[in-house]
Amino acid sequence: MLEELREPSAGDPAAEGCWLERDFAEGDLPRLRVLTEEFAMWAGLAAAHRGEFVLAVNEVASNAIVHGGGRGRLMLRRTDGEVQCRVTDRGPGFDAAVIPELLPGLDSRCGRGLWLVRLVTDHLTIVPGPVGTVVTLAIRLP
Amino acid sequence: MPAADVRVVPVQRMRPGDHAFVSYDGDDTRWDVLAAFARLGLAAGERVMVFAAPGVPDPEVLAHLGPADDAGRPGDADAWVRSARRSGQLVLSSMRELISPEREFTAVRQQGRLTEETDRAVRDGYAGLRAYIDMHWVRDMGAPIDAMVHRETHADHLFAGRPYAEVCAYDRRWFTGDVLDAMAQAHPRNLLTRLGALYATRTEGLLRLLGEADLSTRERFQGVVGDALRRTAEGGRLVLALRDLHFLDVGCAAELLTLVAAAGERGVRVEVRCSAFHLALLRRLGAATLPGLTLIGVSG
Repeated sequence: MLEELREPSAGDPAAEGCWLERDFAEGDLPRLRVLTEEFAMWAGLAAAHRGEFVLAVNEVASNAIVHGGGRGRLMLRRTDGEVQCRVTDRGPGFDAAVIPELLPGLDSRCGRGLWLVRLVTDHLTIVPGPVGTVVTLAIRLP
Repeated sequence: MPAADVRVVPVQRMRPGDHAFVSYDGDDTRWDVLAAFARLGLAAGERVMVFAAPGVPDPEVLAHLGPADDAGRPGDADAWVRSARRSGQLVLSSMRELISPEREFTAVRQQGRLTEETDRAVRDGYAGLRAYIDMHWVRDMGAPIDAMVHRETHADHLFAGRPYAEVCAYDRRWFTGDVLDAMAQAHPRNLLTRLGALYATRTEGLLRLLGEADLSTRERFQGVVGDALRRTAEGGRLVLALRDLHFLDVGCAAELLTLVAAAGERGVRVEVRCSAFHLALLRRLGAATLPGLTLIGVSG
């Protein structure tokens, strides 16, 4: 019944397209997580996967802050039956080779974030951008 | 400090049936908590009513609810808010409007109207109603503080088993400390005053963390967990209560395991009580390899 009451709009995530695009820095992470959770709910991602999507987006955004110049640009969109996040940074650049095949030991200081992102997502690509790196992750919708 | 039976939670944990107190002393904290409460309610399919401070124009409220991007161009995330307002899912109102045509506030009138609005939201097909009430209306309408304390402590029927949630927001620059203390005690829930904060309370053998553990709070997370473990006697036991830790990033989760492993060398045993999600995260990061660590799932 709720669906019948809602009027179609340009912001309807049922219509594929960009839902949010904005720059971020470290202080923006809590707000980004709220918006990411909201987006995942609107898009219809199952509750069991919403936390994983939020965690994955947070890890990639944090990676951009720590290694990619202190800030980045986030885009959330629904496309091809997926919820998708793209983070662009202005750092020195990296590629998927930095992601360890196996979980790093507790004495290792890095690598776990992207390792976990790859584990909980259905799709993860890391490619060079015009400046820095573009990381795209996605989780399939039910 | 709130009474022992008052639970402190992040705003993201608000659910139908919750009645919460929050305070603010500036625009940043006020609008962040309101925006999170409202937007997550809209996303959950609830009707959201915002009773902003009298005198705050609707466009200003909407501007704070919508995350226009840095270029000022509204994205589709903003379109959702505009669409919700057009459809009636998001309602900007005032206490005067709510109790109209009555002019004088009475708890009976206000609670009756909120009950009607909750029922109407359900009839209209929404999952329920959530209301954000900025308590500046008390001054605007000249309502006695005593009446408000009575209202807040006699409102269970609005919430028990009903799809209604309410945040009562108090401006610390206007209400006295005594009133704020009384109101905080009068609500079953107290909200953390800002997004992204991490708080810790410690008693003998127990460390409770609430809020969000991420890049910005990692140093504090390491500090309080490490300190609690160091203060635990050799061969002793520490309980880490993480039920109200809303967010735990991978870095903090890994740091937790590293600290527990180090404490395990002194024979310290650690019991982590956390959500199923955080339990799964800790397991994925290797918790099972630490013999002194016990993970216990607790519901939110």
